Parts: sequence; structure tokens; C-alpha cells
Amino acid sequence: MFGIRTWRALRRRGVLGINQRNGDYILAYNDRRLYPLVDDKIRTKKLALDAGIQVPDMYGIIDTEQGISKLQHIVETHGDFVIKPAQGAGGDGIMVISDRFEGYYRGASGRMISPEELEFHISGIISGIYSLGGHRDRALIEYRVRSTDLFDRISIGGVPDVRIIVLKGYPVAAMLRLPTRQSDGKANLHQGAIGVGVDIATGVTLSGTWHNLKIDRHPDTAHPVAGVQIPDWEACLELAARCYELTGLGYLGVDLVMDKHKGPLMLELNARPGLNIQIANDDGLLRRCRIVEDHLDGLDWNLEPVARRLMLSKREFAVARLPETPEAP
Amino acid sequence: MRSVKLHARLLAAFLLVLGIGSIAYQILVQKVPLTESESDPVWVVDAQVSFQARDNTPIKARMYVPPLESGFTALNESFISNNYGVNVNRENGNRVVTWSARRADGRQNLYYRLMLTSRFAEPATAPEDGPQFRAAPPLEGPERLAADALLAPIRQHSADVETFVSETIKRVNNMESDNVRLLLGGDRSPENRARVVDLLLAVAHIPAEPVHTLQLNESRDQQPELWLRTYNGKNWLYFNPLDGRQGLPEDRLVWWSGNKPLLALEGARNADVDFGVHRNEMSALQLAQSLRFQDQSSFIDYSLYELPVPSQQLFRILMMIPVGVLLVLLIRSLVGMETLGTFTPVLIALAFRETEVIWGVLLFTFITAIGLSVRGYLEHLKLQLLARLSIVLTFVVILMALISLVGYKLGLSTGLSVALFPMVILTMVIERISIVWEERGGGQSLKVAIGTLIAAVLCHLLMVWQPLVYFVFTFPGVLLVLAAVMVIMGHYRGYRVAELMRFRAMTDEGGR
Repeated sequence: MFGIRTWRALRRRGVLGINQRNGDYILAYNDRRLYPLVDDKIRTKKLALDAGIQVPDMYGIIDTEQGISKLQHIVETHGDFVIKPAQGAGGDGIMVISDRFEGYYRGASGRMISPEELEFHISGIISGIYSLGGHRDRALIEYRVRSTDLFDRISIGGVPDVRIIVLKGYPVAAMLRLPTRQSDGKANLHQGAIGVGVDIATGVTLSGTWHNLKIDRHPDTAHPVAGVQIPDWEACLELAARCYELTGLGYLGVDLVMDKHKGPLMLELNARPGLNIQIANDDGLLRRCRIVEDHLDGLDWNLEPVARRLMLSKREFAVARLPETPEAP
Repeated sequence: MRSVKLHARLLAAFLLVLGIGSIAYQILVQKVPLTESESDPVWVVDAQVSFQARDNTPIKARMYVPPLESGFTALNESFISNNYGVNVNRENGNRVVTWSARRADGRQNLYYRLMLTSRFAEPATAPEDGPQFRAAPPLEGPERLAADALLAPIRQHSADVETFVSETIKRVNNMESDNVRLLLGGDRSPENRARVVDLLLAVAHIPAEPVHTLQLNESRDQQPELWLRTYNGKNWLYFNPLDGRQGLPEDRLVWWSGNKPLLALEGARNADVDFGVHRNEMSALQLAQSLRFQDQSSFIDYSLYELPVPSQQLFRILMMIPVGVLLVLLIRSLVGMETLGTFTPVLIALAFRETEVIWGVLLFTFITAIGLSVRGYLEHLKLQLLARLSIVLTFVVILMALISLVGYKLGLSTGLSVALFPMVILTMVIERISIVWEERGGGQSLKVAIGTLIAAVLCHLLMVWQPLVYFVFTFPGVLLVLAAVMVIMGHYRGYRVAELMRFRAMTDEGGR
């Protein structure tokens, strides 16, 4: 029977299912009390800054209607910036300002935005249009990330990001998320972005997934997605691993962006990361998590230093057979 | 984690045992019927007494009637007689009815009717302990000799009262023996044979008494059959004096015991008693209810059937909610179909009760679609979430009012009667779908809405399935069993069916 065979095949490959993820990982490792740390981008950012983890610079917070007038002052010295709702989801309510012209602002798409329009947008964020449940929110004004041109040939619009799953401080899987035309510049797999597996040991991309299918080429540019080296991979891994100490969440999805000038920056944390990363890496998360758990069982100290944790991850999760790289970066 | 799992398993096992135990108790001990339509034979026993009244003499007819604790449940007992006084009293473990009249003319008919069933019956309470010894009757001459000659081998071939009685009956029915023939004195009727058995037992100091029984099967003009019973210190033992069979068959009803005739008449002659037995069917539930009216204990005590009828109706619905919730849980955890929360499909299923499924689905789809398009339009106005939802809900209400109005004008009032409850649920559903839309986009919300609708229809079909409704309502222990399944499901770690599809690319057959 189809079902039984697939079931067995998936078990053999150590694929993690939703029920098991929820029960054995999220419920077991993530304390509910800690969720607010990752649900509010401002709190996450402050935590990261205190711990010396690289994040996009925060220019300012606006949390009252009266505060909106501060905007001028906050962005005085910055030519471009991003405005985000602190508790928004799915990328809603994010406004990217790339330039200024004669007192007007220029949006990412090149559209001119009047200061009044910008203030109206911030007022909307504060009153909770974009926050779930509709309660009041805060507007976050921060550094605009400039994407490296390394990914230009395999992404369309928007900024690609790297998602790393971290179990108890050990990176177990990584995926490069590339926006497509369909995803409208967003790096969210639900919305049609593609996910490309990344070799933990080297930071070189593998094949990808798009709508639960395995793919080799970017649907818009037709360039192969495999064999691209992610810059500063070591720093990315270290940053992701340290997010465990930062939040205390044992099963965590860390979203990083590659800034042209500043290198990897931590963008967001996710307490219930999705499972498609398994298709992107063509490897089961359960298999990898078990390795870490077994390692932890045989450990006599509580928490290994970051360097040792990375060593284990690199050793265990290296992809033995690297894909041929037709076009090395 | 491991200890928690063990704990959960123990809890599930405990709930399961408790639930199944209570169901088993109700079925096996309380004899609660398994299905609503389960019916039981009800035996209607009629005894017709007829006699010729003597002129100008007071009449008194005394007849034995069965004691009520006879291994059957008496549903109804009636004495039908014109112009006669009726009086029932007890006499040596028997019940006797006395019909009396100052005067009567011609042929008289009196009726006695008893309705019996074996369900809910307590095992027959034995008449109080019997004697274990009796004095031997004085016997003289040849009879004495014959009795002794018969008893000697019987004593040898028996070990206790039980075998002694069987052996005696066997000997007395052996007509070859001269001793037997002498004691019978030429009369081979069952009564006489029973008398001889009794006599022999009396000589051996074993007490015994005749009992007169009626067989419960469809029959007319049945005559009571004679049995003997004796007390062995613990139990009453029944014997058939003709063939030595031991133990009263289950379909035999003890009518009276002792040597006296069934009917005793004063002031009348040509008495005759006819027995008729016939079988009726009656639903077990009705039976229990009719017992209740007689203040007899039945399973209805301490069950939901004791509630007033309107509350019963309510609980018939409420008790099905966990069933629906479990179904949704299974649909979500095993199948992987996405629904709006766990409770919403069940609530929609409840709403379908009032709108009927077809109309419910149409109404649900139509109103949700309109509600969401209003929402889509409002998105451009950049309104706050709460304000936006309030507007959507207001329009939903307006829409329902319009639908009801149009339906009424078209004469469709029955199908489209939008009651308060479905309306509240629909608005709530639209609110929740809108939130999913905000959170995860239109495609996802459509998927969730369809999943919810399918789950709701399935829940509805399950929750109105009458045999199941009856079962859950009658055996509330089912809910504990459901809870046990839910506890187990909480630790279910397997794949969902939808995931088998989703990760198919990772298996050999699905890869490329």
C-alpha cells in the first residue's frame, strides 16, 4: 500500500512530522513563557544587542501617536531605513524607504511617499492594524539591509534570508530562502519562495524545494540553485548557535540576512519553525535531532561552548557528497 | 519525558477501565438494552376462572396466583371481575386472591392477567429456608414393607439429598416393580406418582413439597405442571417427578406450592380454570420506563433518563459534543486536514442541526464568501482589525436578514430559518477565517475554510446518528473511553496522512 510504504520510507529517513515536532520538540524544549521574547521583534533585538549578536541597527521606536513627530529626528542622519510593526506576521506592514528626495521619501519600488503618508502608516502600525489580535503595537525603525549580489542570479526582488534550525544550541539544518515572482519578494515558503538546502559544514547550497517539490533551478531565472557559497558561513553558524543562550528556547528557527557591508545579521527568531527545510536538505530533521540528543545524553556538562557545538554540527551534518558545481561562485 | 508518557498512559488506561467498566456494568448487571430498538418478550399470562354459581348463596373463590419475586419482572397484574370484591393475601409463601360476592346468577367468568418479562429481573429470591427434617408418616402392613424395600437400594445408591431424590423418582417411575405398583394402587397419574415420591421421601425424613408451574410459551389451555422441590440446607432443589430432571427450566413460572388445589370454591360448582399464555414484544426502553412508574428500581435511576424531558433533549446534544471533538482531533492529528481550531467545526455541526446540512453548507459558503469579500474591500481603507471585523459582522447580519426575507417571500421559510444560534456561529467563523486570512493569506484561509466545512459535515452526520446518540446518552461511560483516546492522541507522534503527501519528494518513489 502506498501509505504504509511512504510511512516506512519517511521513518527510515528520519523525517520529522508535525505531531512529533509539536510534542517532542516544541512542547518539550520551548517554554511557553519565553515566546514573547521572539514574538516581539523589539525585545528580540534588545536581547541580541545586549548579547553582542549582530542585528540590523535600530534607529528608533515609536509607540505613541505623539511620538510620530519624532520620526523626522530619528531618521535625520539616515538616507534609507525600514519601518516595521514589532509584532507583525508574514511581512505585513513593512515599509522600506530606499532614498529621499526634496522632503519626500522613495519606496523600494521607486514610488514617492509623502511624509504625511508615512506618518499615517506609522499611526496604523501603532493602532494595531498589523498585529494579530488587533492590540496596540509599536513601530520599529531600523537599518535597511542591502542584499549581497551573490544571490542575484537566483533570487528575484526582496532580500534572501538564511533559516537555521538550532536544537539546544546545535545548528541541525540550514536553508537559504529565495524570493520568487510568485512570493512577491517575500522569503516565505508558504507564499511561493523557494528553499535551498545548505550544507552545515561548508555553507554551500544544495538542491531546493518549491511547493513541496524538489527543484534544481530557480523558477524565474532558470539558474541552478546548488553550489552557491554563502558568505561568512562560520559567523552565521556561530550567531545562530548563540541564539539558544539568548532566548532559552531549545528548538528554534533563526532567520539571518546577509548584508553587503555588515555581514550576517540576525533578523528574527521563530519558536515553531516549519518542516519544509527537510525537503530542501533532502534529509530528515528527526535523524539529525536524534544525533544531537544522543550526544547531549552522553555529556557530563550542561552546555558546551559554542565552538565545540559547531564542531559537532559540522562533523555530523556535513553532506558527504557535495553536488557538482557547474558554476562556482 | 518518559515518566510523563507513562503517566499519560496510566491515566488513559484508568479512564478506559473506568469507562468500559461502567458500560459493562450497565449492560451485564443492569441489563440496559444496547440499542434503542432492542425489544424483549413480554409474556401475558391469562387465567380464566369459570364456574356455575348456586342461587342465593354467597360466593367465595380462592385461587393461587404467582408470587411476584419469581425470577421475572412483573409489569402489570390485573384482576378482572364484575361485581366481585378482590382481595390478595399471602399464605405460606404463596399468594392467594379471593374473589367474593354476595350473590350471583348463572355462569361466572373471572379473569386474572399477569404480564412478565425476564429483563431487569432479580434472580428469584428463594422462599425462606425450608425445613430439613420431617417426621415419618405412620405406615402399616404391606405399604410399610414396600416402602422399606424401595428405600433400601435408594439409600445405597445415593450420596446426599440431591441424589437421593433423583434416585427415588427413578425408582417410582419404574412400573416393573411390584412395590411401586402397590404404592401407586393402580393410579398412574403424575399427581399420584408425585404423591408416592413424596411419601417415600417422608419415610426417609426428607422434606419435600410439590410446586405447580406454568411454562412461558405461546399456548392455550395449558395445565400447570407438577414439580417437587426440596431444601438441602442451602438451596431449593427442583425435580420433575416424572423423569427425575433436576432444576427448574428458565421458562417455568412457579404458580403455587403445596398440596392444595389451585382453586377453592364456596357456593359454586363446575369450576374450571383455563390458562393462556402469549408473547408480546416491547422495547426495552419502554419496559424500563413503565417499571419506573411502578416505583420499581430500574437502570433509569441515576441515569440521564431521570432528567426532565427538555433537559434530556439538551443532553442528547451535549453528550455528542465530545464525540465530534474527538472526530475533529482525529481529522487533524491523523489526517492532517486543517480546520479552524478544534471546537469550531463541532459548533458548526451543531448549527447544522437547525438549518439542515444542505442549506447549512450553502449558507455557510455563501455568507462566508460575502463576508470575506467585504473584508477584502475594507482592507483598502486601512481600518483597524477590530473595526474591520465589526463591519464584516454587521454585514453578515444584514445579509442573513436579507436571505431570510427573500426566502420567506419565496415561500422557502422552512429551509432558511436562520436561528440565533447558527447566526452567532457563522459570524464567529467569519471572524476567525478573517484572522487566518490576515495571518497566513487568502489561499490558506480558503483551505482552512474547506477543511472546517468538511469536518463540520462529518461531525454533524456522526452527531445525529441515532444509534450512536442513544448509546452515548445511555452509557455515559463512553465519554471516559473517548477521553482515554484523547489522552493517547495527545502523545501520538506518527505522521499525518497529509504529510505522507507533503514529504513524498523525500522517498525513493516520490523523488523526481
